[in-house]
Amino acid sequence: MKRLSVVIAGAVALATLVGSASTTVAQEKKFTIALIPGLTTDAFYITMRKGAQLAADALGVELLFQGGPEFNPTVQVPVLQAVIARAPDAILIAPTDKQQLIAPLQVAHEKGIPVITVDTFIDDGRYQDGEGPGDFPLSYIASDNVLGGRMAARALAKAIGGKGKVYVSNVKPGISTTDQREEGFKLEMANYPEIEVLETQFNDDDANKAAAQLQAVYARNPDLKGVFGANLFSAIGAADGVKALGKSGEIKVVAFDAPQRIVDDIKSGLIDMAIAQHPAEIGYYGVVTAYAVLVGQSVPVQIGTGFTVMDASNIDDPEIRKFVYSD
Amino acid sequence: MAQIRTTLAPHEQEAARHPFLVFLAVAWPWFFLFLLLVFFESWARLAYGVSFVFNGFNAQSIALFAAAPLLLGLGQTFVIIAGGIDLSVGFVMGLAAVVMARVMQSLTPIDPGLALAAGILVAFLVSLVPGWINGTLVSRLRVPAFIGTLGMYGVARGTGFLAAGGTTVPVNNPWLFEMGNGKLLGVPIPVVITVAVVIAMHYLLSQTRFGQHTYAIGGNRAAALRSGINVRRHTLLLYMISAGCAGIAGILYTARFSAGAAQAGEPLLLDSIAAVVIGGASLFGGSGTIIGTVIGALIIAIIQYGLVFIDVEPFWQFVAVGIVIIVSVLIDQSRERLTGEVKDEG
Amino acid sequence: MKAEAPLLRCRGIGKRFGGVRALEDVSFDLDGGEVLALAGDNGAGKSTLIKIISGVYHPDEGEILFDGERIAFDNPRAARDAGIETIYQDLALADNLDVGANVFLGREPATRLLGLLPRVDRRRMREAAHEVLETLEIDIPPSKLTEPVRNLSGGQRQAVAIGRAIFWKARLLIMDEPTAALGVPEQRKVRELVHRLRGQGVAVIYISHNLQDIMAVADRILVLRRGRKVGELARAEATGDEIVRLMVGG
Ligand SMILES: Nc1ncnc2c1ncn2[C@@H]1O[C@H](COP(=O)(O)OP(=O)(O)OP(=O)(O)O)[C@@H](O)[C@H]1O
Ligand SMILES: [Mg+2]
Repeated sequence: MKRLSVVIAGAVALATLVGSASTTVAQEKKFTIALIPGLTTDAFYITMRKGAQLAADALGVELLFQGGPEFNPTVQVPVLQAVIARAPDAILIAPTDKQQLIAPLQVAHEKGIPVITVDTFIDDGRYQDGEGPGDFPLSYIASDNVLGGRMAARALAKAIGGKGKVYVSNVKPGISTTDQREEGFKLEMANYPEIEVLETQFNDDDANKAAAQLQAVYARNPDLKGVFGANLFSAIGAADGVKALGKSGEIKVVAFDAPQRIVDDIKSGLIDMAIAQHPAEIGYYGVVTAYAVLVGQSVPVQIGTGFTVMDASNIDDPEIRKFVYSD
Repeated sequence: MAQIRTTLAPHEQEAARHPFLVFLAVAWPWFFLFLLLVFFESWARLAYGVSFVFNGFNAQSIALFAAAPLLLGLGQTFVIIAGGIDLSVGFVMGLAAVVMARVMQSLTPIDPGLALAAGILVAFLVSLVPGWINGTLVSRLRVPAFIGTLGMYGVARGTGFLAAGGTTVPVNNPWLFEMGNGKLLGVPIPVVITVAVVIAMHYLLSQTRFGQHTYAIGGNRAAALRSGINVRRHTLLLYMISAGCAGIAGILYTARFSAGAAQAGEPLLLDSIAAVVIGGASLFGGSGTIIGTVIGALIIAIIQYGLVFIDVEPFWQFVAVGIVIIVSVLIDQSRERLTGEVKDEG
Repeated sequence: MKAEAPLLRCRGIGKRFGGVRALEDVSFDLDGGEVLALAGDNGAGKSTLIKIISGVYHPDEGEILFDGERIAFDNPRAARDAGIETIYQDLALADNLDVGANVFLGREPATRLLGLLPRVDRRRMREAAHEVLETLEIDIPPSKLTEPVRNLSGGQRQAVAIGRAIFWKARLLIMDEPTAALGVPEQRKVRELVHRLRGQGVAVIYISHNLQDIMAVADRILVLRRGRKVGELARAEATGDEIVRLMVGG
């Protein structure tokens, strides 16, 4: 008897399952949204993917995640083409070059696939204003890097008590994101009359060079109080230089971005603060924006996502921890 | 009498090698290419109900994708057959791309057509310079190819970034755009140009004395020297051919993207060498063909493109390409055993 | 005393490599149709001497007359063009090329494709290779002619090297240890070849460590020790013991 009921229950469950499966199929076509990161091996983009996946699951869309191993158009363009060949309903992409991705993305646009850029942009980054060859993407979703720079400045100013010498350790001129961070940093520092911002040092994304530069700057300015590393290697290198001088904690180091190793460096005191972007938020809003477009909603041409300031005092708080980029 | 005697086994007496194995060892790139196409075709049909192969967009994308590493691989084939290697090709390509963009940027306001002609000419000539230096280092100053061209890798890279001012150099020129994105009888122009270069290089390698001497130098440098081949001059020319091919790749890059970038060819170095090796060349020199390199480049492009197309997790793609390279090198090793080739030790 | 000048005359040849005196005051004559064996211990200077004759090295001292004329070759190619072919100790075949390509190495015949583009004449190379091997009565299966020579036996490879020299109508053929790598039957084959060449009026310089070999092929034997000529004997009056005595000194 008991056994029979189990069998019946099983059969009913199976029937419901089959039934529900067939209703899903019967539902209207499931949207496919492709996300093409700048490179696949970076924690920032991996975190972005997680946010995108959350939104995709919530909205019932399929997410394709495809990209190259290097941040380079030569690698990204073939991937883009293969994705276009799959004819997704929308493309989210972090273009690896402002200029060189215009023509390949134009192909998608001409095939009627909506294009939204995330993190980085093409052309001038101002879309749908009738200007420039790369005007066709519908939206640009990214951290407001100028704001990020300002936040870094505020945090650093506070840490050094509002006076002293600081400088920016940057990659090289011409990169939109890092240029904007530096710009924001300097704008904000203008509000602190007793802080002097020294010449920016460019390190070509070489931590070793950034470390040597810190020591050189210190040699000329023994009263150096702080440094802002505008990206991961700039910060790690500068922090290393500080450590070699035996000045950890005395010369404050603010990092931009928050992969796991920055957390470790904050804990060990190598780095004092980090400005974490919210890549998961970028991915989430990317998918939501694309979905909005697909169901006929209008969308903002630019969406700025937030930042979190991390330091030794809050790094163990789970609410802060969740903004660490995870791979 | 005190001399050490080397005994050469008379190979023709050993009939043990299975003819099918020998055939497989030589023809495997073709098989593999065929299997890949069958695999992706069936997957695409079963999973998405579309064709992978008989799909104009895919064919074009793959051809365009394969063109740049193939161009680098063509010159590399000559160098590798002669027993050398050219590690600088990627950045020579970038240098040519940047020089072309710079020249065109300044001349386009004067005359777009002239700007294109001048850009191509100057970029090509500039690309020959690192080739000449590589060749001189290797042939005259006896620097090992690996070291000499690695040095040039740095020099070309630095020069490229300097010429570009650290960023991408955009060009707005309709002629250039047409060259990079236009079509001739339905085939993208960069692909047409690449095919022309392939034919020329195939002829040069397989039909001319120059090609014959390239094999001879790779087979036995001393023998080539003693038979009166001007090995130095020949080696110099080989590196210039390699650099010239990289220059053409750079020119096509700038045309395709309407912009030059110093890092344009950086990811292509390994692909180009892999294409040559998959195509049956030995890294010890003496063997290899242009057709083989074409097949090798297609195999790499199809794997990378196809895996994206069927939406395989990106990290598996590295694994797949890595495996193909390892397998091809293993096959190169066993090819010797299977076909009775014996390489001199040392 | 001969009336006419010998084909090859070396006078007072000397050569040093840094501090090493590889050769010192070596003189000898050689006529067409004559086989001269060079004997000497390792490092005696045999290879150096023939490299000087074949244009690889320049002598520091002395002069070489070929066909009555003073010669100073800039490179091996010039020596080959003059009719001096050399088969080196290490063969000098490109193992990855076929028989024809090796026979013609560096001097490939060219035709024109569509009367326009230069191109190597492979058919001619194949035919000529076949021909020359036939005249030397060397049998290499026709299928092997188009395979890389690494697939040939040691004797066959030696034959290709000799065939190459003959094809280019050598008047002086220099062979450095031609039998060192060969089995006994193949050694015999090479000796036969040398005899046949002598019959055709070719002058031969033959280097060997193998006394049997020397006694079998040579008309005269020149012995070197530490770069100096220490003896020159007609085969008829030479004995193995005497040669060895000269080689090691004492
Ligand atoms: N290129 C060179 N540079 C320096 N020394 C050399 C060179 N070639 C030969 N020698 C030296 O000259 C001397 C004679 O060498 P050579 O090769 O002529 O001797 P060999 O009689 O041919 O000896 P083997 O029987 O071992 O072939 C040796 O001491 C050798 O080390
Ligand atoms: Mg010797």
